[in-house]
Amino acid sequence: MKNKWILIFLLLLAVVIVGVMVADFKSTRPDQIASNPFEYNVDQYKAVDSALVLYTETRNLQLSMQEPAAIALAGDRLFVAGDQWVQVIGLQGKLISEISLPEKPHAVAATPDRLLVATKASVLVYDPAGKLLATWKEGFSESSVLTSVAVAGDNIFIADAGQRKVYRFNPSGEKILEFEGKVNDEVLHGFIVPSPCFDVAINADGDLWVANPGKHALENYTFDGNLRGYWNKSSMEVEGFSGCCNPAQFTFLPDGNFITSEKGLVRIKEYKPSGELVGVVAPPAKFQDDGHAPEVVADAESRIYALDFDRKMIRVFEKKER
Amino acid sequence: MDNDKVKSRREFLQSGVRLSLALALGGIGGLAVSRLTGDDYVWQIDPFKCTQCGRCATECVMSPSAVKCIHAYDLCGYCDLCGGYFKPGYNALSTAGENQLCPTAAIERKFIEEPYFEYVINEELCIGCAKCVKGCTSFGNGSLHLQIVHSLCVNCNECSIARVCPSEAISRVKASQAYRIKGGFTQESAG
Repeated sequence: MKNKWILIFLLLLAVVIVGVMVADFKSTRPDQIASNPFEYNVDQYKAVDSALVLYTETRNLQLSMQEPAAIALAGDRLFVAGDQWVQVIGLQGKLISEISLPEKPHAVAATPDRLLVATKASVLVYDPAGKLLATWKEGFSESSVLTSVAVAGDNIFIADAGQRKVYRFNPSGEKILEFEGKVNDEVLHGFIVPSPCFDVAINADGDLWVANPGKHALENYTFDGNLRGYWNKSSMEVEGFSGCCNPAQFTFLPDGNFITSEKGLVRIKEYKPSGELVGVVAPPAKFQDDGHAPEVVADAESRIYALDFDRKMIRVFEKKER
Repeated sequence: MDNDKVKSRREFLQSGVRLSLALALGGIGGLAVSRLTGDDYVWQIDPFKCTQCGRCATECVMSPSAVKCIHAYDLCGYCDLCGGYFKPGYNALSTAGENQLCPTAAIERKFIEEPYFEYVINEELCIGCAKCVKGCTSFGNGSLHLQIVHSLCVNCNECSIARVCPSEAISRVKASQAYRIKGGFTQESAG
């Protein structure tokens, strides 16, 4: 009789122990834990109203590069710099030629008669056949980090994130001037570049625009470095730019609208020249979390080619038909 | 012949005892030397694996948590609009409490020069909730990150945060390399 009660007690104890173990296992599984009061959920800023997304992704061009670094477009050819190469690719993705580089590229710009490749602190000039014509090293310093090149006729503009300056060179490689974007009034500040995201571009009218990422601004300068106009928009919502360094990249559509690319919350958007948001080209869901801001270029048909550094491919976006 | 046999057994036992003593002494000595010169292991967070879930604030056996926010100043942009300091929908870029993301106001915003600001973590107030880390990682350079502070950590046999960490970002590291501070510790070196 006594043994029977001991057996029942032991069985009950075993059941309780197993129950506690199961409950403990289930309660400590990450997907079983109650919501955390301290969690900061930024998903709402990644979500974009589908009505705002005006573009659709139509094609991807996979790259045979480990570290794509920059893209440019001239006529019907894409110039992709990365590793120690520039690959010349047709708009349909056909590899046309490759140009070997002596060091890692940071930026690239192409015109019908020359190809300019910026490295950390030099600019390499090639002819269309890939022959090295010149190497510009004068005018840069040890702390230079060249990030963008734009060409307007005989004027070559180079953005230096390390020095927070924009340089103007002539085709012979002589530095004509440099400017820091400083103005006398308190409206704006000089270029604020917290990370190596500092872009320059020329629009269809030949105007020079410079991104001031620390001010979330796009600024229009004369070729002499005088501020002519600007617009800026700081916001964590889709209408504006957020974080330390946006817009990280930008380009122009043939009609003059801006295409901007952002880091942090990676997304591509279209703005009117006045700074009014037109719509979204690619929402954050299209990109890797905490990925890099894609570099963007646009062709004459307003197709947008985004160089996705994380997926190592060119992603093509076209406007949806209404 | 028999005497020889007895003698050799005794000798065998004596040498066996001597050998055991020598081994025991050698073992103790070796253990002592290894304790003196060897590396202990402590728990630490890999900032590149951390997903800023907020569990470090609630799961640590210490109260407040032994996990604190660390600032890698050389990676910081010294931004006016800091995603780690200001909460979304802020009224103004000011130090007013209503604008701050940190639930314990553990981040001090200091003016450096127009338009640069320095953000300093008050360790005593920090509870390791990672809200600022999430903001900085999502919108900025990712200079804010979490680390287990070993002057506060009791180095549990099984870290209660590591048990629930959804990204398995907490692991044991050598005590001689107890911190994984961004900048010196890179994603490449993390492997």
